[in-house]
Amino acid sequence: MKLNQVYINGIGAISVQPDLSINGLANPLSFRQNYVRCADPNFRDYFDPMAARRMSKIIKRAIITADIALKDAQVELPDAVISGTGLGCVEETEKFLDAMIQNEEKFLQPTYFIQSTHNTISSQIAIKLGCRGYNNTYIHRGVSFENGLIDALLQMNKKDIQTALVTGNDEMTPNYHILLGRLGYWKTEIEDSLGIIKSPNGPGSFAGEGSVSIVLGSVRNQNSYTKLQAIDLSYKPGGLSVEYIREFLRGNNLTTDDIDVFLTGMNGDAPNDEVYKAFETVFGENKMACYRHLTGTYHTSSAFGLLIAATCIKHKMVPAPLMLSGNSCNKVKYILLYNHFLNNDHSLILLSAC
Amino acid sequence: MNCRILVSGMGIVSGIGNNTDETLASLLETRTAIGELRHLNTIHRLPCAEVRLSDSEMKAMLGIPENAVYTRTALLAIVATREALKMSCIEKGIPKRIAFINGTTVGGMEKSELYYTDFLTNDNFNEYIAAHDCGACTEIIADYFECFSYVSTPSTACSSAANAIMLGADLIRAGIVDIAVAGGTECITRFHLNGFNSLMILDKQVCRPFDETRAGLNLGEGAAYLVLESEETARLRGISAICELSGYGNACDAYHQTASSPEGIGASLAMKKALASAHLQPAEIGYINAHGTGTPNNDESEGNAIVHVFGEKPPFVSSTKSLTGHTTSAAGGVEAVISILAMKHGFIPANYNFGEPMKSLPFEPVKAKIEPAEINHVLSNSFGFGGNNSSLIFSKTDN
Repeated sequence: MKLNQVYINGIGAISVQPDLSINGLANPLSFRQNYVRCADPNFRDYFDPMAARRMSKIIKRAIITADIALKDAQVELPDAVISGTGLGCVEETEKFLDAMIQNEEKFLQPTYFIQSTHNTISSQIAIKLGCRGYNNTYIHRGVSFENGLIDALLQMNKKDIQTALVTGNDEMTPNYHILLGRLGYWKTEIEDSLGIIKSPNGPGSFAGEGSVSIVLGSVRNQNSYTKLQAIDLSYKPGGLSVEYIREFLRGNNLTTDDIDVFLTGMNGDAPNDEVYKAFETVFGENKMACYRHLTGTYHTSSAFGLLIAATCIKHKMVPAPLMLSGNSCNKVKYILLYNHFLNNDHSLILLSAC
Repeated sequence: MNCRILVSGMGIVSGIGNNTDETLASLLETRTAIGELRHLNTIHRLPCAEVRLSDSEMKAMLGIPENAVYTRTALLAIVATREALKMSCIEKGIPKRIAFINGTTVGGMEKSELYYTDFLTNDNFNEYIAAHDCGACTEIIADYFECFSYVSTPSTACSSAANAIMLGADLIRAGIVDIAVAGGTECITRFHLNGFNSLMILDKQVCRPFDETRAGLNLGEGAAYLVLESEETARLRGISAICELSGYGNACDAYHQTASSPEGIGASLAMKKALASAHLQPAEIGYINAHGTGTPNNDESEGNAIVHVFGEKPPFVSSTKSLTGHTTSAAGGVEAVISILAMKHGFIPANYNFGEPMKSLPFEPVKAKIEPAEINHVLSNSFGFGGNNSSLIFSKTDN
């Protein structure tokens, strides 16, 4: 879908990386374990102790990042709240499930059930903001966030809305980490998470989690990070072909040469990374970039890709740790983000400097 | 951009029927499916509306091997999608970009709640870990048909399927896909049966939507999908339309996670948005298929919203949840199909089991089936936890 006038005007995030500024991205933390949790802020700075205890962690994170992003964009009330989440409020789902199994369906309290549905995130943000506009939630695996983003862009293109808060939230509970581990998601040993992509050793990556909020606006302002040019989602095209990407770019009067940075969802998992590496010859090794060695892998890590790309394009540079070549990139007019999930779900997002 | 969106096919499975013909027959005879649970293994003796088919029967119907990994949610969806695709003459290989948009909330929970201890301690049921998340459910359904190149999973609790239908229309209008098969699916799980039970909103008898003595809802299960396409695509394919999706609206009540605002602010907004997008006046709506769950809170809130939008003498209103049970994420699809059947066959389905009018409302729902009834435009409401309110309007194509 080609977009008319859509800008990223505000961002907010909580991640396993404590500092997501351009300087922080130049000096990221490295981890030595296959499971890293968020560097959470002090929730009491944001919520009164009663509310903080009642709310689930993922909701607290989502509300905080939404607040940061809206302030960043100087938007008081967005026209829409749309979230993507692979698994929703897993912690509460597990608690209710566990209690139901342990107590054989007796003596159950509703609190965890109430918070267990995936749409709790969007609706809690809406309740907090008093936002009665368009509200939606998408839960589609590794492209949950892109599904939410497309919906926001559809509403903006229809001119039904001028601003949208789009969020991507996932938490990695200890139990879900075990479950995904059974499916081969994680390496058993991690020496240096930052080096996980450059020194490939078989399948698996390391687990992360995070919350990202992005404020879209149809009007460019002084704080605008980037212009969203185009987006595409595909299911089982048999892997994205070079021709497919050329066609996508042609629709925007661009060629692969115009792309300064090709930001991929590489994460050190050999079968996953192979799909992206096929494009190395098209874009050149010095344009290949990645972010999951910083953020870890989880269903909405692609939201971080967009956040990082927005930060980089605003500062007209991509710090060295993000580039596969290890050299920072100082010419950043166009960034193309490519993400796939199990080589079935594919997404492309094209960004340009404002 | 603003092309007409036609409905060229539909498929449904619920307690009141395994396809559209059976559903129509049950509606015309006001036959409820609410009764004792037969498939779900639970300690609770709460009335529910299960789909009659067992998993094995559905697998046999669909040519799926008995030992293949399919959750009940996915099987229900495949039964309904198969009917919708057949009606719309869509088969593998047609040169169109087709989306499958599947509203669901429980996904593979029905198996996860059985094997959860195994998930944590051994590798015996890993294939069900992979099938647990809702997106996996959508892809399992899509893969059965091998004709979808775009998939998406909206999840807004009990309005999921309505939002799926809205997304389908928006994707067609934006030129992203040619055809969208959109709706929702949900099987009854112990997880949400116990969840609703812990909230004390399940009636121990057959529910009574819009009745003064209403005491909660009954869970149902099912799946239903519409095939949506532009007028142009339908013309080129030589397909005649059943009706038109003429308007839709989504709004958030922004009031409480599990309760609706007493005055139904979000519900009013959703209905008003739908009317505006359909360029219709309230008086032009011939029938409102209400969300009408039978909980004290919903029916009060929705009733007030209907009065706010349509006045004290609104068009015919009925809730069909005392027939189908509350099919949660599938409800928007199930009730879209019911609304379309009512319009097409010219009748108003009964608000079964209604007895005593609500003191706070100036209108009563339709107590017994009305036939014939001329409906040119029908509005269907779906409201979800968290205040996710959506309204759809379907219109006859010859208007």
